[in-house]
Formats: sequence, structure tokens, C-alpha cells
Amino acid sequence: MSEIKPILSALTRSKTGAILLVMQIAITLALVSNAMSIVADRAEKINQTTGYDEQGIISYTLLTYDKDTDIPKQFKEDIRQLKALDGVIDVLAVSSIPLSRSGGSRTLSTDPEEHSGKNADSGYIRANHHIISTLGLTINEGRDFTQSDVIYGRNGDYPSVGIVSRAVADKLFGQGNGLNETVYNGDDAFKIIGIIDTLKSQWPRSNMGNSLIFLPIEEAQTYQKFIVKTTPQKRAQVMKQIEPLLLDLDRGRVVMNIKGLDKSKADTYAGDTLMIRMLIAIVVFLVIITALGIFGLTHFNISKRTKQIGTRRALGARKSAIFKYFLLENLMVTALGVVIGGVGALVLGRELMGHYSVPPLETSAILITAGMMLLMSFIAVYSPARRAANISPSVATRSI
Amino acid sequence: MLLHYCDLAWRNIRQTPFISVLMIIAIGIGIGVTMTTLSVYHMKSADPIPNKSAQLHALQLQIMDDGQTWRTPDNLPQQVTYKDAMYLLENSPLEKKVAMFKSGAAIHLDKPDSVPFIKDVRVTSRDFFDMFDMSFLYGNVWSEAQSEQAAPVVVISEVLSQKLFGRKNALGESVYLGDRRYEVVGITKKWRPAVKFYDVNNSAFDPAEEVFIPLSHAKAYQVSSWGNTNGWKNEEINSREQFLNSETVWLQFWVELNSASEKAQYGQFLLDYMREQQELGRFNRKELAYNLQPVTQWLKYNHVVSADNKILVGLSFMFLAVCIANILGMLLAKFLKRAPDAGVRRALGASKRQIFYQHLVEVAILGLLGSVVGVVLAQLGLAGIRESKSGYELIATMDWQMLLISPLISILACLIAGLFPAWVVCKTSPATHLKIQ
Amino acid sequence: MLQMQDIGKLYQTEMVQTQALREFNLTVNEGEFIAVTGPSGSGKTTFLNIAGLLEPFSSGQYMLDGVDVGKLNDNQRSDLRNQKIGFIFQGFNLIPDLNLFENIEVPLRYRGIKTAQRKRRIEQCLEQVGLAGRARHLPQQLSGGQQQRVAIARALAGEPRFLLADEPTGNLDSLMAKQVMTLLEELNRAGTTIVMVTHDQELARRTPRNIQIVDGQVADFTLYQGVQGTRENTQTPLGV
Repeated sequence: MSEIKPILSALTRSKTGAILLVMQIAITLALVSNAMSIVADRAEKINQTTGYDEQGIISYTLLTYDKDTDIPKQFKEDIRQLKALDGVIDVLAVSSIPLSRSGGSRTLSTDPEEHSGKNADSGYIRANHHIISTLGLTINEGRDFTQSDVIYGRNGDYPSVGIVSRAVADKLFGQGNGLNETVYNGDDAFKIIGIIDTLKSQWPRSNMGNSLIFLPIEEAQTYQKFIVKTTPQKRAQVMKQIEPLLLDLDRGRVVMNIKGLDKSKADTYAGDTLMIRMLIAIVVFLVIITALGIFGLTHFNISKRTKQIGTRRALGARKSAIFKYFLLENLMVTALGVVIGGVGALVLGRELMGHYSVPPLETSAILITAGMMLLMSFIAVYSPARRAANISPSVATRSI
Repeated sequence: MLLHYCDLAWRNIRQTPFISVLMIIAIGIGIGVTMTTLSVYHMKSADPIPNKSAQLHALQLQIMDDGQTWRTPDNLPQQVTYKDAMYLLENSPLEKKVAMFKSGAAIHLDKPDSVPFIKDVRVTSRDFFDMFDMSFLYGNVWSEAQSEQAAPVVVISEVLSQKLFGRKNALGESVYLGDRRYEVVGITKKWRPAVKFYDVNNSAFDPAEEVFIPLSHAKAYQVSSWGNTNGWKNEEINSREQFLNSETVWLQFWVELNSASEKAQYGQFLLDYMREQQELGRFNRKELAYNLQPVTQWLKYNHVVSADNKILVGLSFMFLAVCIANILGMLLAKFLKRAPDAGVRRALGASKRQIFYQHLVEVAILGLLGSVVGVVLAQLGLAGIRESKSGYELIATMDWQMLLISPLISILACLIAGLFPAWVVCKTSPATHLKIQ
Repeated sequence: MLQMQDIGKLYQTEMVQTQALREFNLTVNEGEFIAVTGPSGSGKTTFLNIAGLLEPFSSGQYMLDGVDVGKLNDNQRSDLRNQKIGFIFQGFNLIPDLNLFENIEVPLRYRGIKTAQRKRRIEQCLEQVGLAGRARHLPQQLSGGQQQRVAIARALAGEPRFLLADEPTGNLDSLMAKQVMTLLEELNRAGTTIVMVTHDQELARRTPRNIQIVDGQVADFTLYQGVQGTRENTQTPLGV
């Protein structure tokens, strides 16, 4: 370590190369730590548990255009036939598909007069009493729907009971409360008979991501969505059978959007996945470019200093001393870059947070990236430094 | 002289192939990343209808009672109610206005071999085609009378005509939307705006619809919306009639305003209308509000360019800065190695300026070559984005503007990197490098 | 001090083999000042490199101050250079990024000498070459003669028993060359063994003993200039 002072004075006297490296390392650190922080945040969102049996559920939409079709009767037959398929556990009509970014939402209130009570926006799904088990959900408090809770069709009737997510219950009635309370939706009201802790709505990325209610209404519309629960092993096979089977039963309709719930989720998060990929691509390219920069500049420095290295060797420097010299020189430059980059990362992080909805930059993200930068810089400088150490001392006597 | 510089530059580049290729790759990657994100940004933010974007205005009415909020910065819903849309359509002093919404249907020919498929359908009033500069290949928009009578007429695109009938001219043919037979009265030319700017709230990056039917069908045949339908008030809605009369917003409304005074007059007309409606118990608020925003402003208002797009563009330019620093280092190394050569030239009478320019020309050529690599990389990047199926299928492309701007950015970046090294070389005195040691 | 016996050096490239030194024999005694001359390409530089442990040799035996150099590894050779040999190069070989003080410090650092002691020694050496007070200057701020004096100071810093000078006046004008030469003579008088490689006959004549290298072998003849010198152990000239 005794070399620090002379390295420092040598660096301050031929700064251009060092400044360039410091700049590159600083920008790289600022950019990479912020990018990785965004990546981590998005990845966490994507990987949040939804509560659903994503691998076992297929959803599809049926558009019945033939006016002669008796829709409720036809749906009954559809469901009976689908259930007969190998691997199918249950089939039911739903008003919307969880995680699909499409469906209805309502403002719920603790009071019939919205503005005098506590409010919560929430997605809702109308389906019969099979819905909870079919989606693979667990009721943490209260009970599931029974057949007697279910009302049929949409002719102004409103069910008297509903099952809500914990987020909705908490927002309306405070932490941990809500069971058996009455929720108002304008003139309609229902009693909370069940609460589910882990539950994502149709819009998991929005501020009502955890807010969802189930209402026991069975519908049969011309434009109707369905979910099919299968064993995970048989799902792919069932997925292929749905359309031909349904069209065989009745030609006057179109089957759309047959996909697994995991695919719906992936589609909903496609933007985040793309962002993650783009950021990772930028980071990877950037690290390559910076590593190349360190490698190239060290290379250049060494070829410029060949004579000097030979002289040092002639004056008694061991190979290891030369090797250490370049390693140490690089470490000092990288360390300076890392310090400046750390500050830059904080500034950039604050700017990004000020303008866009990105998570706050964790200090650990900067530290981890800084550590990676040091390691990368070590790897980049290793071979040029090795080469420098192998320069023969006899170049000292060679005239140019 | 320039030609001479180019020749010299090309020789120098070939003399040091390794470092030259390294620099070209470095700038290429920088340009590739930057142009990928910038192209997406550009396609999203570009004016989709340049010759009319200043005249076309999206209309918003503050329909909600005092105390209600919306997710827009000024709390105005982006869409309008059916009854307001119908009134403004029928009573407007303006020549051109359109109310519309997105729907969909199973399209088929009612033949055993015609398999029905789902298509988005735009249900719209007549001015749509004229206002948004769509042109007809055959036929025309339905007539006023057909619109009033809710005649089963349809306009389809040439692509769809080809698909259904195997030819572009399908005028007079019958096509089924669900179980209703429609007569084709117009075939539109291919129209692919990158952003569906006239309806950004319902999948802004989906392709434009290829099937158009009259707005009157909304009531006559109960054609329902496949787009966002937002209520803000608790209303009893159990029938179609109740729905159409409700405060639910679900239609887009656009007007063409040709001057500021026309805009002001129209604004007055809107206020008058709202005041009238207040008598009926609607627009329950102290201050009436409306908004008329031209196309580009409308796209900004609706955050068509997402925060992610902006972040990526910002980060890409930082990336480019790293590439510039990188190239600067390499150029410095390369030029200094060749400084004796410059010294000889200086001794032979070349001026500092000439040496400087000679080196800058070399740098510019590197930039040009780098942009070729960059554009290829950007094409790969954009193809990757299109593959990601995240609604970027039409957006993730490079138009000619971006294609032209790539070499400019690349050369500029290289020149920035080359200024200092070129200056260092040209300021070294001729004598230093002529001495034989 | 220095004993070379049948030293051979073969340079091998893909295309050609060059015998730079063959059956090279030379003995230098403690306290001698020898000039090595010879036409270019004769093997002067190779001799210098081998004598200074800068290059390994292909055959023969080389004893430096009682150490069999051929048996040393790279690190041991480095240490031996550092402790026993002082180098003065034709091109001065000062490190341009370091000031005079730091330049002289280089060999001392490699020897692991303590800071305070180092400082004392450097100031002493600078004084000895007449550059005291310029410790903070950078090499390029000095004239050629001054630079060479710094290089000599650097060579002396480690108090080497054996000084190797490669054309020490080659890049200097005659006045400066004389100054440098006088300095070397003083050092020799103080007990340092000096081997100087030069092509300058006039310079060579100032030293008590001259060696000529021709075709990679030694041709020894000594000019008397009233300075004491030893003639034992010299080899028979090979028909010059």
C-alpha cells in the first residue's frame, strides 16, 4: 500500500485517462443502481402472490350472436359437457377474469350516503357459489357462499351477502374488522360473510390491486366470460379441446381469449416484464462497455508506459510490484468513480422519484452495484496488469 | 480538401483496425440502445395526424357533481355520456364533429364455410372519416338518411374486404356482424396510425378498427360498448334505455375547430348547454368546466408516452454519454500514437486547423460506421420489443425520421468525443515528434 | 566483483537466430572503472543487459559479487538489481509523471526503506548531484544534463556496489557530458565499481580500462592515463 502516494501523484499529472474512467464508472454506477432498483421493484410486483391457482385455471369468453339460442340452457349444457372432459374439475360463468385488466369496479361505502361514510374502490366479480373454490382461494375469516346465497340473472335483484378481500374490509371498517358488517353500493347493500387475506383484483397494478369483492350472482349473457378449473397436468390438453367442443354444441357463437390465468397475469405485467428486459439489456451492455473502457485504457496506459515499467523493473521492482501497481492504480480510479457515482445515483434516484412513480433507491442497491463495479474493474484490469508485469526489464536499455 | 481528409481518415481507420472496430462497436451499441428507446418514444409522441392535429379537439365536459374526483389532473372525465354526445351532435354550431365508441362483433358471411371471427367495431357518426383523414378506396360513408334510419350499412377496410371476399372491391356485398346482415357501402384505404389517438382510453396501441357502423345502431340495435364505461353516480340501470340516459361516460367526442374565435364560440355554446342542463338537475356544481384539447396535447394529457418510456430514453442518453467517454479515451490513445505523423504534417506546412479538421473527419466517419451498427442493433431491439406482446406491435418500429436521425446522433456523439483528442494532437508542436531519440 | 565465463546469448525469432554473445569472458574487479566500446550491433547492449541482470543468458556462468546469477529466479534477480546495481540509462529513463524526489524514491521503495530514512537519503543524493532544492520539479522542467544527474542520483540512492552506465552522455552536449563524466569519476574514486557502455572513444579514453566488444566477444586493450588500473584477468584480444 506504500505505493498510494506516488500513484496518486502520477495520476494527478496525467489526468485525462483517469478522469474519463472515473466518469464512466460514476455514470455506470448511477445508472445501474437505479435501473436495478427499478428492476427489483417490478420483479417483486410480478412475483407477488395472487392467491389464485394460476396454473390450474383457464378462462375464455363466449360471444353468442345467434338470437335463437336459449343462452342459460346452452350454458348449462356447455358446462356439463366441459366437466365431462378428462382433467376438468369445475366450470362456471364469471362477470370478469381476475388479473385480466378488464372488468367492473364500484365505490363501496359503509353508509348508504357515500360521502358520509368510509369509501373504498374495488373490483367485483359476479359468479355462483363455486367461485371461491374454483379460483383456488382460501377464506380466512367467515364462510363460503352456499347455493342458497346465489341469485340468478340481472333483473334488479341484489344479493344479500358478499365475500371481500382483506384490503376492502380494512379500508372500510379498520384493521381486522369487517365480518358481518354491511357494505353499501348506492341503494344496494350486502353483508360481508367471508374475508380473504391474499387476493388480487382485475387490476393488480393499480391502487385497487388488492381490492376485490365476490357477489353470488350467476349470469348468462350474450357476451359471457367463463373460468375452467383443471388439474395442472391436464390444462394444456383441455385448453385445446374447449373451442371445438363448444362450437360443436352450437355454431352461433365465437369462443375468444382462451388462456391460462398465468398467461392473463403475464399479459397484465407485460409492460413491467418489458421494462425489466430493457433495463437489464441496458445494464448488461453498459457493463460490457465500461469493462471494455477500463480494459482499453489500462492497455493504452501500459503501452505508453512500457519504458517506465522496464525502468522500474531494472531498478529492482519485482513482477508482483508492477502487477500490484496497476491493480492499485485501477482500484483508486474505480473507488473515486464509485464515490462520485454513489452520489450521482442518489441524485438520479431522487430525480426519477420526483418525476415518475419509481421506488426510493435503497442504499444497499448502491452498495451492491459498487461492489460489482469494483469486481468488474478488477476483472477488466487483471490481464493488462499481468501483461505489464511481464514486460522485460531490458526495455529500459532499448533506445526508441 | 474534404475528399483528401476522407481518404486520409479511411487509411488511418484501416491502419488500426482493432481499435477502430472497437470504437465502432462502442458507438454502435450506444446508438442501438438509444435509438431503440427513442424510436418507441418518438412513435408514441409523434403527431399522428400532422396536417390536422391543431384543428382536431377532444371534448371533455365536467359532468360530475361537486366533490367527485377523476384520475385526470383537472378531474374531467375523458369520455362523455350518451345523452350529451347526442345533443352536441345534433345541435352543435360546428360543421364537423364526431361521437363514437368502440364495440366488437363476430364477423362472418353466414355461409357454412365462413368461420366467424371477432373484430373490433367502431360505432361512429358520419364525420369520423372526413375528420381523421381516412380515404375511401370504393364507395363512401353512409348517408345522413341511412344514419337516421339506422340502416344496416357498414364500412370496412380494404384488408378486411380482401380477407372476406378475396377482393378489394366488396361494395354491395353482405357481411354479418353477429346475426345481423349489413351491406358494405364503403371500403377504406389501409389506415394504420401508430397510436389510436382518437380513442386513447381503450387500448391506445391496438390497430385502428376495420369495421365501422353508424352511431344510431347503439340505440336501435343495442350495440354495446367494448371499451371503458365509467359511472360516477349511483343510478338504477336495469335496461338499455336507462343506460343510455345515465350519467355513465363511455363515448369519445371530437370536434374540428379552425380558429381561436371558433373555439371560444364553441366554448360558450358548451357553457350555455351545461347551464341549460343545470335546470334539469344535472351538472350539479358551482363552476362549470369543459376542456377542448388538440391532438398532441390530448396524447400528453392521457400519458400516451408512459413514464417507463421516458425513463428508458433518459437512461439511454446516459448510456450514450458513457460510450462517448469510452470513445474519447480510445481516440486519445489512437491519436497520440499517431502524433508523430501529425508532427511531420505540421513540419511540412499543414496548419493546426487542417490537422484538427483531418482528425475530426476521421471521427465523423467512425460515427457514420457506428450508426450502421447502431441501426442494425436498434432493429433487433425493436423486433424484441414487438415480440414481447405488450401492446408495442405497431409502436416499436423505426420510421424514416428516426432512421435519418441515427447517423446524426452517432456522428455528433463521435464529434463530441473527438474534439478533445483532435485538439491535443493539433496543439503538439511539430518539433516534439521530429527529434530522434 | 563481476565474473562472466563463456557467456552465450542466442536471440531466437521465428525467422532468424542471432548469436549476440558467444564465449564471452570478462572479469571486473572491485573498484574498477571500465569503458565498454564496440561498433553498433556488436553486442554491447546485450552485454549490458546480462551484466545488469535485465536479461537471462543462454549459456555460461555469471557471478556477481559472489552470487551465481544463473541460479536466481526472477524475484531474486529483481532484489539483486535493487540492492547491488545502479543503472544510468542513455535516455535517462526518468518517470515523467513523478517529480525528482519521487523518481529517486522508486528504488528505495522497492527496497522497503522507511519514509524518514528515504527522505534523508534522497536529499543527500540530490545534493550530491547538485540539484538540491529542485526536488519538486518534474523531469521535463530540467535540461538534459540535469535529467541525467537526477538519473545518476537515482542510481546512487541505493548505494550500489556496482554502477552500470549505458551511454550516460549520449544525449548530452560536450560540456554537460564532461560534468557527468567527472561525477562518475568521483563516484569511482569513492569506491563504486563502474561499467560504462559507450561508443564515444574520447570518453572511453578517460577510463583506466577499456573493453571492446566485437562480434559478441571481448577484445580488451587498456589505455594508460595515469590512473591506477589492473591488468590481470584480461583476455587476449582476438585480432582487431
